[in-house]
Amino acid sequence: MTLLLVEDDALLAETLIDTLRLEGHDICHLANGDAARTRLSVTGHGDELVLLDLNLPGCSGLAVLAALRSHDQETPVLILTARGAVEDRVQGLDLGADDYLAKPFALDELEARVRALLRRRSPDAPLRVGALRLDTRHQRFTLDGAPLALPPREQRLLSCLMHHAGEPVDKALLAEEAFQGDAMGDNAIEVYVHRLRKRLGDSGVALRTVRGLGYLLEVE
Amino acid sequence: MTRGDSLYRRLLGLLLLPLLGLGSLFLIQAWGDAQRTANRAFDRLLEAASLAIAEQVQWQDDRLWLDLPPAALEMLATDAEERVFYSLVDGQGRLITGNAELPGDPRQGLEGSDTLLYRHIAWQGLSLRQGTRRTRLEDWGVREPFEVRVAHSREGRDALAAELWHANLAMILAMAALATVGLLLAIRAALTPLTRLRRAIRARDPRTLSPLELSLPRELAELRDTVNELLARMRRVRANQERFIGDASHQLRTPLAGLSARAELALRQDDPARWKEALVAMQATSVRTARLAGQLLSLTRLANPEYRPARAPLELNAIARQAVRDHWASCQRQGVDLGVEASGGDVWIRGIDWLLAEAIGNLIDNACRYGGHCVTVQVENAPPRLVVEDNGPGIPEARRLLMLRPFHRDHDELEGSGLGLAIVDGIARTHGARLQLSAGHDGGGLRVALQFPGDTP
Repeated sequence: MTLLLVEDDALLAETLIDTLRLEGHDICHLANGDAARTRLSVTGHGDELVLLDLNLPGCSGLAVLAALRSHDQETPVLILTARGAVEDRVQGLDLGADDYLAKPFALDELEARVRALLRRRSPDAPLRVGALRLDTRHQRFTLDGAPLALPPREQRLLSCLMHHAGEPVDKALLAEEAFQGDAMGDNAIEVYVHRLRKRLGDSGVALRTVRGLGYLLEVE
Repeated sequence: MTRGDSLYRRLLGLLLLPLLGLGSLFLIQAWGDAQRTANRAFDRLLEAASLAIAEQVQWQDDRLWLDLPPAALEMLATDAEERVFYSLVDGQGRLITGNAELPGDPRQGLEGSDTLLYRHIAWQGLSLRQGTRRTRLEDWGVREPFEVRVAHSREGRDALAAELWHANLAMILAMAALATVGLLLAIRAALTPLTRLRRAIRARDPRTLSPLELSLPRELAELRDTVNELLARMRRVRANQERFIGDASHQLRTPLAGLSARAELALRQDDPARWKEALVAMQATSVRTARLAGQLLSLTRLANPEYRPARAPLELNAIARQAVRDHWASCQRQGVDLGVEASGGDVWIRGIDWLLAEAIGNLIDNACRYGGHCVTVQVENAPPRLVVEDNGPGIPEARRLLMLRPFHRDHDELEGSGLGLAIVDGIARTHGARLQLSAGHDGGGLRVALQFPGDTP
């Protein structure tokens, strides 16, 4: 399975290829919109994820996206563009892109987004945040290789946080996930978060508070 | 403007209409004059003929007797071959002699003297002009009243009247034609300044904004002055733009020069530690430059008066939460605690979501840059307000307005373009919102609020 990178700027493309190779991905690079469209118009193009620039020689990135989405709704597409305007993002997302990164972006950010998109594609793959690991099929957690036994509510809470690792998750969403409809109130969440923090200890995985919003799980 | 609506035609119409009325009056009067003149001339003939006849009336054998002089009738028959009639009638109205039995005139003349009355009559299918002379024979012991009636058909009169009328008609028409030509020339001449103004405007280079310099009549001078005022405003706008472009290119060139110099220096060195140092510096500079380019693009867009994006109902709490979600990670990297304080209920405004996101992003970025360690995005209700508050050093009140100017920076030693607040100001204006800068709640820091007009969608 390969990642398709469609980007015409040589320096940026080279950097991204090297970065993603180090992450263990196979990369196919195209610098031209027409070539990308030709490749993606075929059913069974074999690409796992498409990183797509919008300003391309030949046909535009949006045209490439439209060509792909005309027959393939599955393959995730991450748009990379120098057009800072969020208007373009809206158009891209309307056309069926899954995520959007405005240039310039941090390589960390790109890696995180790529991981998130690939995870979404194969939800059964184990989740990993630093030393914390979740076998999604059996809902079993391990911390530093040791099994981490959790009561059901904490389990659901941590699972939800791991699915959104690196991004703030709303308290309301967490409460819904953890309590599954039991009206426990936002304060109850704090109790469970406190317990989870204790369990995580100084494993290098931090459960941070986002003031007024919710919580976020990340590697310290 | 439709093709039919022309100043030239309008003037011509307004001036020709009274001229037409006046011409018609002249024509009517000329017709009457011609009739009167012809009647007067021919009535003289009737008078002379009736006198000639009356002079030849004698008293013979106790009755009136007339020896008709041929000349009397000949003078009535002009070239037009009129038909001539006469009759002599005594005091009791009996016909003495004549070639036709002409009717009498019922009107009373002057009693006891010689009178002559004219009138038009229709007699046996003929239209005639008749003269009736009432007089009396004064002889030895005889005083006998009698009437001489003479009449002729109207061919001669009509011919004369027509001739006079035609002469007048030709003259009036010639005058009308002259007047029209004069009017056309006068209007054209009066409108020349307009043509000059048009040519002057058309001949201009679209890039020149210098005032129009040409002397014009007062009415058009006002128009010229209005155009010149507009041009002056445009000059000011362009001067602003030029200053902005100058500032912008300077702002972009400086970090690029730094990048290039830093790279050059690093290439001269052999120590990998130095290279790493250079790379870190160059990365920071390039990120800053890219951000600056993005900000310049936003500002240019916001400054474009043609740019009127559609506004949609938005919920401010959702916008604030999303903004915090988007910026939390980068704030965290800089050691800044970013949070949100939502208002109790939903706060709806009409706006453009991505512009507001950009405004909050700029404010958060500014707060982090200028020394805030705790940045909070707040939403307030009644009036709807979006606030970004930090606990940094804040800005003294006197300098707050200056901060809205593009490229103005309060701390020159800190990195930043000085465009952030200018962009937020532009976004506020696009939303009809007011941008308020004040100190934070506990007196320190900076609190920037976008107060929206209280319209609910």
